[in-house]
Amino acid sequence: MRILVVEDDRATFDYIRKGLLQAGHVCDGLEDGRDALAHAMREPYDVIVADRMLPGLDGLSLVKALRGAGVRTPVLFLTAVGGVDDRVEGLEAGGDDYVVKPFAFSELMARINALARRPPAQAGSEKVKLAVLDLELDLVRRTCHRNGQEIELMPREFALLEYLMRNEGRVVTRTMLLERVWEFHFDPLTSVVETHISRLRAKIDKPFDRPLLHTVRNTGYSMHA
Amino acid sequence: MRSDFLRSTPFRLTVLLGAAFLVALAIAGFVAFELIRQELAARVDQTVTDAFTIISQSYGEDDVADLGDAVRSHAGATLRHERVYALTDKAGTVLAGNVTMVPAGSGWATVGAGALGVTDNSDDYRIFSGEVGSYTLLVGSSYGETKAIGRLTLVSLAWAGGLLVALILVTGVVVAARGQRRLDGIAATMHRVGRGELTARIATTGRGDDIDALVGEVNAALDRLSALVESMRQVSVDIAHDLKTPLNRLAITVESAIEADEAGKPVAAWLRQAQEEGVRINATFDALLRIAQIEAGARRARFTSVAPGTILERIADAYGEVAVEHGQTLRLTAPDGLPPVSGDRDLMLQMLANLVENAIRHCPPGASIVLSGRIDDGRVELSVADNGPGIPAEERDKVFRRLYRVEKSRTTPGSGLGLSLVKAVADLHGATVTLRDNAPGLVVAVSFPRHTPAL
Repeated sequence: MRILVVEDDRATFDYIRKGLLQAGHVCDGLEDGRDALAHAMREPYDVIVADRMLPGLDGLSLVKALRGAGVRTPVLFLTAVGGVDDRVEGLEAGGDDYVVKPFAFSELMARINALARRPPAQAGSEKVKLAVLDLELDLVRRTCHRNGQEIELMPREFALLEYLMRNEGRVVTRTMLLERVWEFHFDPLTSVVETHISRLRAKIDKPFDRPLLHTVRNTGYSMHA
Repeated sequence: MRSDFLRSTPFRLTVLLGAAFLVALAIAGFVAFELIRQELAARVDQTVTDAFTIISQSYGEDDVADLGDAVRSHAGATLRHERVYALTDKAGTVLAGNVTMVPAGSGWATVGAGALGVTDNSDDYRIFSGEVGSYTLLVGSSYGETKAIGRLTLVSLAWAGGLLVALILVTGVVVAARGQRRLDGIAATMHRVGRGELTARIATTGRGDDIDALVGEVNAALDRLSALVESMRQVSVDIAHDLKTPLNRLAITVESAIEADEAGKPVAAWLRQAQEEGVRINATFDALLRIAQIEAGARRARFTSVAPGTILERIADAYGEVAVEHGQTLRLTAPDGLPPVSGDRDLMLQMLANLVENAIRHCPPGASIVLSGRIDDGRVELSVADNGPGIPAEERDKVFRRLYRVEKSRTTPGSGLGLSLVKAVADLHGATVTLRDNAPGLVVAVSFPRHTPAL
């Protein structure tokens, strides 16, 4: 992937760049919002990572200008405070996701991956069935089967499994799950995600030979055969 | 502190009002004076006409003697020439009367005393002369009485005006002095507050007048201000304590890592500990920033109509299993169709999550936690009740403070910001938070105002 990182803090930029290079991506870095705008209009990037506070042109204005110019490249914001005004403002300006500083690189990477492979909006018909190996989820009938056996799921377990299966093969972090499945834009002090994952596992993995829901240490979870 | 007395507002108001009264009095006086003058002039004319008619009736068939007698008897009945009468022949010779000269012309006229040859009365005369047979009869009346009454009217008006001015000045001085005393009191108190004496308050008279209302507002503002300053001071102290402690631990951990490295020992464990400490410090800062942002109130612009039932279900659903893992139970009781409230869904979720997490973390295994929603007097009340250790009554006010932690809970994890955030979110929504004894345990209830669709 070709990723543009707009960040004026040298240490943060080096941290992101090192991680992206290790993951096999190409990374361009800029410190000034105005330079970034000119650059992003010219070059075809897969994802843009932009800090909210930038010299020259702030992150919000940068994204507004890009969207105004018809550039649809997904943008991920880095913000100082999440969950309150910054997040909403960022999304309203045309941003696609956000990560709160300080962040773990794995969190940023998981979100960049999710953004880059997110299908463009209104792209054909929605899937009505998801499948990972022999696990099937019928989104219309709201049923779940594995190996022909019906598995009963609570509504939130269904939502959790659906999100995991839609991101098959990718790492989803605990924070991503909290935001997408529970709409919690804050960090709970108790193990909400862990508890639900273990309940889900007991239903979809335990009775069967091959586990499909994997824990990625210090990062999150991944669904794959 | 004392400002110029003559420029004080009450005094100036009184003087202004007094001046307005004086002008009104002058206008009313002038009008009254004019009306009286006209009425008196009309009466003089009437008197003259009456006298002329009576005298002229005594004349009959060229008998001038009776007419002369009538004139003479009328003239004899008046003193100081208040009335004048004259009977003249064609040649202008005065045959009878109390004047020596007769001005030429007939009909109505106003003449000076000199024109009639009158010397003991200096007033002007209103005269009427007309033909009676071949003679001319003149009847007149002096304006003396009219002038006297006019003068009397003017003098009484002047007295009333003078008294009014005196009364205005005295009232002005009294009112101004009283108002000034109170204003000086307010100014003195504000001066004390300005110098940092935040407990100073302005005394009210209890009369409930406008100044009392103003003083009440000022006092209320001072209350809020001093509460704010006190909480800022408290927060500074708490931050110093609660953030300096983990920062200190962080420094020690890093130092230990350096020592271990120098001794050739592995340092990963130390660094992991330092990282955790950093995460905790960041979480505390993040919570403080969030509370500050919520308290700034900008989110109110994004309020939508939120169904409390869905919020309660989402929380019960998220934390039910967490409670089970802690050996506790979480139950939801809410009637169907709770009315919507105007609010911020994300913040309402976080508020209830904080309350449920507090209950889970502070209650021992076996505890039962009840999440409930109900309608109370038109308000929507969402509450979290537990049968855990509760909070002593004397500490209940303090738990909403930033970074405050009930003494015995200092060892359990948490930033001490959970309830401050709950309070901030509730305040943003115009909701009230109350802590009640659940005997045993604690009930935290958040009561939202009825949703007004206009919002």
